[in-house]
Amino acid sequence: MDDSALVERAVGTRDVAAFSQLARLHQSRVRGLLLRLTRGNHAAADDLAQETFLEAWRGIANFRGESSFSTWLYRIAYSRFLMQARKRKPDEQLGDWQETTPSGESATQARIDLERAFAKLSPPESAALTMCFALGLSNTEAAAAMDIPLGTLKSHVLRGREKLKAILGDPG
Amino acid sequence: MNDADLDQLLSEPLPERDAADFSVALMESITQHEARPARILSWISAGVMLVVIVAACLFGASSFGQGDLGAHSLAIPAMLTFLACLLSYVVLQSVRE
Repeated sequence: MDDSALVERAVGTRDVAAFSQLARLHQSRVRGLLLRLTRGNHAAADDLAQETFLEAWRGIANFRGESSFSTWLYRIAYSRFLMQARKRKPDEQLGDWQETTPSGESATQARIDLERAFAKLSPPESAALTMCFALGLSNTEAAAAMDIPLGTLKSHVLRGREKLKAILGDPG
Repeated sequence: MNDADLDQLLSEPLPERDAADFSVALMESITQHEARPARILSWISAGVMLVVIVAACLFGASSFGQGDLGAHSLAIPAMLTFLACLLSYVVLQSVRE
């Protein structure tokens, strides 16, 4: 069963089972996005992901299908992250990949380096790059998910890439 | 690292996360969220019922006080109070569930 059929069931009859299936399908990517935004803080990312899906359940009747369901979820997740970031005290530290990445995780060194480099980007740069590359969203979809103009998204992507190249050691 | 390498690294999908624990916690949150209006309504019902029963007890006690009911003068208010407690207990139990 595809997303739209599950959404229809979840909206029409408030079918928790259908929503549960949607959550299972999308949880990994939503948690992955939030993990990057929280700089590897698994607990904070999972709390935000829970809030994201709960908000999606509460507001699923407002989902009009103008974007894909996953884009709608990323939009909620990103706005939840920003709301929480605004509440956070300036001296409060987020996660650190060095501390929170489980040692047994089968991550390649390149990926670990990449995640550490991501931790040095600003949240909009990190979100823009993750959405456009790892999550496969088009620039328009990513801009909609982040609720920013297309031009701003493109500059976040460009700046983020430049920063990553510099951090990861660009020979050129 | 050149542009192509960076693009390739960035395009790698995010690591898969296990859904089991997350889904269970999410379903619990949704169940709690769904039960909230019913719980609030139950508390309001319990409050209203208690007020009505106490008012009835007071009214009954003041009415009986004006007549001579002999041995029954205490039995009826006591029975009403017992009934109020019993009903409150039943409602509170259903609220907890």
